[in-house]
Amino acid sequence: MNIIETKKLTKYYGNSPGIIDLDLSVEQGEIFGFIGPNGAGKSTTIRTLLGLIRPTGGSATIFGKDVVKFSPEINEEVGYLPSEVFYYDDMRAIDLLKYSGSFYKKDQKVIAKRINDLAAYLDLDLKKKIDDLSYGNKKKVGIIQGLLHQPKLIILDEPTGGLDPLMQQRFFALLKEENKKGATILFSSHILSEVQKLCDRVAIIKDGKIIKVERIDSLIENTNKRFKLETAVKVDKSRFTGLTGISDLVITDNSISFLYRGKINDVTKIIASLNLTNMLVEEPDLEEIFLHYYATD
Amino acid sequence: MNIFLRELRAYRKSVLIWALSLSLLSVIFLMLFPAFTKDTLASQKVIEHFPLAIRQALDISLQYFFTIYGFFAYLLTFVGLAGAVQAMNIGVGIISKEVSGKTADFLLTKPVSRAAVITSKLLAAFGLILITNIVFSLVSLVAANIISTTKFDNNIFALTSATMFLIQIFFLALGILTSVIIPKIKSAISVSLPVVFSFFIIGTLGVILGNDIVKYVSPFKFFDTNYIISHKSYDPKYLMIEAVFIVVAIAISYIVYTKKDVKAAV
Amino acid sequence: MNIFFRELKVYRKSLLFWSLGMIALVASGMAKFAAYSNTGQSMNAILSQFPQSIQTIFGLTGFDLSKASGFISVLFMYIALMATIHAVLLGAGIISKEERDKTAEFLFVRPINRARVISSKIAAGIINLVVINIVTFISSVYFVNYFTKDNSTINYVITLMCGLFFLQLMFFFIGTAVAAINNKSRTSASIATSVLLFSFILTFLININNDLKNLKYLTPFKYFDAKDLLATGKLDVIYVSISLVVVFVMIFMTYMSFANKDLND
Repeated sequence: MNIIETKKLTKYYGNSPGIIDLDLSVEQGEIFGFIGPNGAGKSTTIRTLLGLIRPTGGSATIFGKDVVKFSPEINEEVGYLPSEVFYYDDMRAIDLLKYSGSFYKKDQKVIAKRINDLAAYLDLDLKKKIDDLSYGNKKKVGIIQGLLHQPKLIILDEPTGGLDPLMQQRFFALLKEENKKGATILFSSHILSEVQKLCDRVAIIKDGKIIKVERIDSLIENTNKRFKLETAVKVDKSRFTGLTGISDLVITDNSISFLYRGKINDVTKIIASLNLTNMLVEEPDLEEIFLHYYATD
Repeated sequence: MNIFLRELRAYRKSVLIWALSLSLLSVIFLMLFPAFTKDTLASQKVIEHFPLAIRQALDISLQYFFTIYGFFAYLLTFVGLAGAVQAMNIGVGIISKEVSGKTADFLLTKPVSRAAVITSKLLAAFGLILITNIVFSLVSLVAANIISTTKFDNNIFALTSATMFLIQIFFLALGILTSVIIPKIKSAISVSLPVVFSFFIIGTLGVILGNDIVKYVSPFKFFDTNYIISHKSYDPKYLMIEAVFIVVAIAISYIVYTKKDVKAAV
Repeated sequence: MNIFFRELKVYRKSLLFWSLGMIALVASGMAKFAAYSNTGQSMNAILSQFPQSIQTIFGLTGFDLSKASGFISVLFMYIALMATIHAVLLGAGIISKEERDKTAEFLFVRPINRARVISSKIAAGIINLVVINIVTFISSVYFVNYFTKDNSTINYVITLMCGLFFLQLMFFFIGTAVAAINNKSRTSASIATSVLLFSFILTFLININNDLKNLKYLTPFKYFDAKDLLATGKLDVIYVSISLVVVFVMIFMTYMSFANKDLND
């Protein structure tokens, strides 16, 4: 069963479209990346899934239940962390988290323990007032309120802003652990390296439409790798003739650079016969792939 | 239940301040009653010199008027005004603060239906109003019993002081309705104040200028003291108007609130 | 200047609503005049023999409602109430909204000092007050002429509007001072409003009990009582002086408090 499934999901804000005919399915147990630049429709999709806004057309289900009709029921098993966290200023962190926990049917003692564990792990002082917390610490409160009920689906909307690299690492580790325990994760971001680090599959969204859904590894596999070789002497161009999938070949006195897409074995055989002083093979990052999709217009 | 308790806690300081200020105002006002009694005596002397026809015409209204009820009812004009501000403020604020404080996302992604959210908030708001009224009425009743030199009917007094409650729930419903209809309210008081005072001015000025229609428009004029004193109850006509208004306002609020989009908090 | 124009723009819609409300108040009030001026006078004449407190509670105003000047005097209480609510909300709002709407960080990192920001905001606020005042003045004169064909009141209306302007200024600056002193931006409007509500209710308490008359200095509404203005035809020097003192103290407090304030987002 798909955890999230949308069919021709459409949302218009007045006359301007937010998302158009969006078809998306997220399978049980995967970490699904959702990438696209600002204004592409990521948040609109997520807010529709959460029942915060109502679709203009199409439908969406989570756990097989319609998001408009069963929003409260669905939310029992969903954890959500938005990009900007805003909480009740007058509460202490612990008050907010307990209040947050009080909405769920789970055992409150288990939740309380979970709050403490997570706070210790993320290094957050629970006694402080929300108002006095820094941006990053508020974010930690956000992470905890999203995970304290051990949701089956975790929805993250550009969640990493404000976290320092160490915290980001802990946060990702936490997500991976939840994922191992069976949680499905929808992770929206415009920072591609994060998505690359964390996700199994990714959907690329542009102008309210999904333009590609692919496994992260095949997305990377199916693209060119850049080879940068340094040689002792100048190499003749003819050495590379007959190799299919090579492009952008530039040879200078003691350097060679080209893009290659095909069987690695074929290219390494040729390289092995050269007198190398240094060699570098670069994976294309999502950035390049991303630009590829966005550069078309 | 958690939202209900949370709201009671969030408003506890405010409700304490309101209940105490209104009670204090009532006590101060009732302390002026002995001086007022002197003025009523002087007035009665004036009346004695009037021709019989006029005396009879005046008598009906004045006999109530010179009692502690009449005096207290005058205070209620202003306490009712202040109370209306409190109620409308709570009504507007209790729902719109989730939007202005950008916490709507937090609350509405929890496993709780919007209908349950609005119900909890309504009940909490109603509870706050109830607390204010209980404190106000009890303090006023005790103060009146201490201050009044003549015997008076506690029931009528209680009915009179409960007009504040009726005014308040009208404005509470109006406030809730306003807050679900206007998309973004940054400051509750800048909405509630003009609205409440408009009703107040329409009512008061209308009566001074002899316009009877306003009696059906302004809740400040729904519950006439003379009627309460002579019938020992409220005028059912106005109770009906109020009940219909409240039911309609709350119904619309539920419908709008459960359907509307929650804007992103950026 | 940019802040000044920005504030004028922000408040133009609200200004329009308030102006329309004011026009509606004056128009609907004066419209009753024609119907009212012929009736019900005999009873009022009789009741006017009662002590002041009885008259007040009975809803008597003490004005001769058969004359346009008396009528506008009754209206003035409510006009003043509306105008001061506008002023106090405006004053508290214009200062506190940057913190309330979390735009303080945006505004106060610009190369401009806080005093300049406050000055621009105050200037924009005063323009709003002046507009309300002029709208009230014009609609009063117009509707008095329209419904009563009585031109003799124009000087009286001018006097009333001068008094109104002092009231507006006082409550506007009470609003700004509260907003500047108060650290919780969201409660500023409520606190400033309670000052207004207190003054308003005090006015009526004074009216029903002669022993309280010395408290009149505590409520600005008593400074420009239509009853006095109608009797003397001019503003009272003492009250004008007190008003000016109140205004200057409030302005001073606004600038001082705001200059030393921690801006919270």
